[in-house]
Formats: sequence, C-alpha cells, structure tokens
Amino acid sequence: MKLLEIQQLSVSYGAIKALHGIDLELHQGEIVSLLGANGAGKSTTLRAISRMLPMTSGQILYKGENLAKIQAHNVVSRGIAHVPEGRGIFPSLTVLENLKLATWTVKTKQLAPRFNYVFTLFPRLEERKDQLAGTLSGGEQQMLAVGRAIMTDCELILLDEPSMGLSPRLCKEVFQALQQINKQGKTLLLVEQNANMALKIAHRGYVLENGRIVLTGPANELAHDSRVREAYLGTHKHSLGNS
Amino acid sequence: MEIIIQQLLNAAQLGAVYSLIALGYTMVYGVLRLINFAHGDIFMVGAFIGFMLATTLNMPLVLMMPLTMLLTALVGVAIERVAYRKLRDAQRVSLVITALGVGIFLENFVRIVVGPQTRQLPAQLPDSVLKFGSGLIITEDKIWIILISLALMIILWLFVQKTLMGTAMRAVADNSEVIPLMGINLNRVIAVTFAIGSALAAAGGVFYGQAYSIDPYMGIDLGWKAFIAAVIGGIGSIEGAVLGSFMLAGVEVFTVAYLSSNLKNGIAFGLLILLLLIWPSGIMGKPLLKKV
Ligand SMILES: Nc1ncnc2c1ncn2[C@@H]1O[C@H](COP(=O)(O)OP(=O)(O)OP(=O)(O)O)[C@@H](O)[C@H]1O
Ligand SMILES: [Mg+2]
Repeated sequence: MKLLEIQQLSVSYGAIKALHGIDLELHQGEIVSLLGANGAGKSTTLRAISRMLPMTSGQILYKGENLAKIQAHNVVSRGIAHVPEGRGIFPSLTVLENLKLATWTVKTKQLAPRFNYVFTLFPRLEERKDQLAGTLSGGEQQMLAVGRAIMTDCELILLDEPSMGLSPRLCKEVFQALQQINKQGKTLLLVEQNANMALKIAHRGYVLENGRIVLTGPANELAHDSRVREAYLGTHKHSLGNS
Repeated sequence: MEIIIQQLLNAAQLGAVYSLIALGYTMVYGVLRLINFAHGDIFMVGAFIGFMLATTLNMPLVLMMPLTMLLTALVGVAIERVAYRKLRDAQRVSLVITALGVGIFLENFVRIVVGPQTRQLPAQLPDSVLKFGSGLIITEDKIWIILISLALMIILWLFVQKTLMGTAMRAVADNSEVIPLMGINLNRVIAVTFAIGSALAAAGGVFYGQAYSIDPYMGIDLGWKAFIAAVIGGIGSIEGAVLGSFMLAGVEVFTVAYLSSNLKNGIAFGLLILLLLIWPSGIMGKPLLKKV
C-alpha cells in the first residue's frame, strides 16, 4: 500500500526555488533513503511533508489525504513524526520530559509500554532519564530525538541526517535501532549524506540534486551504481545530472 | 524588633504583589522573547475589573477574585491574538512598540470609561487587628494577601513543572520551532501563557487595590517595578521573578522606613544596575543557551 505519495512537489524560499517538482513514494513498511549533497533539498523535502514549509505547487498525499490544507501541528496526529536536522531536542527539559511531550497527541493513558519500548531500544536514555537533555552527548541526543518520534502514534518517521556528528560506533547503534523500529512496522524516510550507511539498511533510495530527483532504484542497485559511487561513496564529487 | 517584623510584613505584602505581576513578564518572555510592556496595564485593568465587580455587583471576594482573574485572562489572550500574533516573526522592535501602544490604549480606555480618579477597592478581606505580646500589631488582611499570593505561586509552579501544558511552555522557551513537530499547537501554548500571566496580574491588582489604591496609571510605576524585579531575578525564570520581587520590595520598604522615601526609586534602580553587573542574566537566569 502506498503510504506517502509526493507528486511534482515544488518549494521555494522567497525567490530561491529549492525543489523543482519532485516525485517520491513510500510503501508501508519500507525504509527509503533520500540521498544528496549539501543544499540538494533533502531537509526541504522533509519540512514540506511535515508542513513546516508551504509548498509552491504539487501535492503530498498521505494515505490518500492531501496534506496541503493541514497545519503543521496536526501532521503528527495523522501519523507522521519528523526527527529534524540538528535533533531539535529541548535542552532544559529532562529526557523523560522530552519523551512525554511527544505524547501530546496520544489518546491512550497507557504510556508505560512506550517508555519501555524506547528504553529497550536505547538503554542509555533510561540511565539518563532525569538528566537535562542539553547535557546529553550528541549521540544520546540523537537517540532522544528518535525516541521522541516513537512516543507519538506515528506510522511514518522522517529522519533528517540521524548520523550527523556521531562516531561510527554510535552511528551503528542508531542505525540498528532504526532497522529494528522498521521491523516493528514503522515506515522510514531516511535523509542522509552518509550514503554507505543509509543504503545498507534502506530498501530503496532516491538521489536528489539541486532540487531534482536524478536517480532512484532499489538500495543495492544504487549502492553499486557507478554514478552514485563516484558522487557519494567515492572520493571525488561529481554531478549526476551531468553524467 | 516589632517594627522590623511589621516592616518585613509590609515588604512581603508588596513583594507578593510585585511577584504576581513579575510572573507574567517572565512567562511571556519565556515563550515569545518579548517584554510585554502592556503587562503593567493588564494589572491595572485587572484591578478595575475587580473594582467594578465588587462595587456595582457587590460581589464577595470569593467570587470576585476568580471572576476578575478569568476576565483579565481573556483580555490578555485577546491582546496577544489581536496585537501580537501577526508580528511574532517581525523584528522585536515592532513588537515592543506595539506592546507600549497597547498599554497606552488600555490606560486611556479605562480613564474614559471609569474616570481618572483614584479609588479604593472595598475592603473585603478579614481585617481584624491582631495584637501580639509586646506591642506587635498586624492587620489580618496583610496575612491573607501574602498567603493567597504564595498559594497562587505554588499552584503556578506545580502547573509549570508537573503538567504537560506546563512542560510545553518550558519547551517553547527552549525551542519553539520544534513545537509543532510534537503535535503541539504553538498558538495555544502562547495563549495559555498570556491567560495565566494576566490572571496572576489581576490577582495582584485586586490585592493592590485592597492594600493601597487604584487609578488608570497605576500600571506604569508598578509595571516597571515588577519588570525590574523579573530582570533582577533572571527574566524567563519563575523562581527568579519571585525572588527579585521580594528583594526589590524589601529594599524599597526598608529604604522608606529607615532612610527616606525620596531615595526609594533611586536605590531600587541602583540595585538593578549593581546586581546586573554581578549577574548579567539575573540571579536565577541562564545565559541564553546556544541551540544545539
Ligand atoms: N530558510 C531558508 N531560506 C532560504 N534558502 C534556504 C533556506 N533553507 C534552505 N534554503 C536553500 O534551499 C536549498 C535546499 O536546502 P536544504 O536545507 O533542503 O538542503 P539539504 O539537502 O538538507 O542540505 P544539507 O545536507 O546541507 O542539510 C539550499 O540551496 C539552501 O540554501
Ligand atoms: Mg539538510
């Protein structure tokens, strides 16, 4: 089943056009990776989906519903959680308070199973649950940001560069958790510059360049595509659009 | 000794009123990074709403007080909705000027509606005179004002620390951009903040009107004092606003009692400058956290 369908989406920042009519779709249960260099428009795509940014044209359908008319704070209750670039945790709140706040739209009062789930995924968070989030290490903050997404009733999680600034070991830990979350039924749209890591856990991928999708396919094909290897996995940067 | 105790009670009473106003400054600053310069006038509006309910409707305090708080809360919410919301992403200067304008509007509105005279709220608190041992005399209403104010502050503190809405208010102060991603309507959190801040100011207005007197321009002086108290304590901090308020009231009351009433404001403002030199972000204030 198509969970998310983006058609001809364009987004501008004032006069600067950041997305030029992109098409993208996600099926239930998938991990889809959105790759691209700095400034390609990856974060813009995620912000458009979660309605942090207005779209210029095109449409975003989630379970068939057009998101255009929905306000940002109502996107979460539709089932979409967004782990923003730079994590966006609340530094002067405790870990527990950060997680609790994410249950704002949750109807059930039975929160214990959710907390347990987050704490089994990230035992470090449980050890630090009364610590102020601002005092966590970068990796722990990333875990908290992902944990917050899981606390909502979401089916789709948008992740904006969860590997940013993490040591290889912590990065592996976070990606393993993401894989596990996916196995439990959540669909993931994973924005990454670390194409290597992302394509290892993704089922499919899209490559974004200057606001356009230039390549898409199954993750293992992308990982072996010579153009992707040269542009994102290899040593020298080289534009896909010109190849 | 008796005199000192009496002066301490006077200071506590004034500090309680300052606190009830200062909390609104600090809470609104927390969520909007705005010094709401209309807040002193919201306090004044609260005092007059209380005055009207108590005089024209003969309402007893137990009814008048909550109703005054509710009505003033609505005034605060309306001001935010009408005057501030559209400017939220504009330069801070525009917002500050708007706030000053709203304050002047409120002063003139009240002056036209009820007249410029100084008035007194009917004494509705128990005001028996309590005499202790060696000549200590305390009027009961002072005790009530202090106790009810403290109770309101404790309720506020519990609300902000323990409830999800209170947590959201602290989260807005941290990082308002991420608030919608938690499924939280930022406008609602800000409206609740204005409602609570205005309601507390209204309580302060009613108490001030019981203890002293009210007029349409009372909010200017009291507003500045409470604002200073909030800054001394650390603007954005609830505990700081209360601490700063009681400190400022203490300095004022004892200056008047032992030095001269002419020195009151000079010493209060001097204290502000001195304390800010020592604690640039206020006593309990954090230096602005860099966003991670
Ligand atoms: N607030 C903004 N105002 C103006 N232009 C912006 C704004 N945010 C992004 N842009 C521009 O839009 C384009 C896409 O930005 P975006 O943040 O989506 O890139 P990205 O792929 O996420 O890059 P990175 O990997 O560096 O995070 C860039 O050219 C950027 O300069
Ligand atoms: Mg980005």
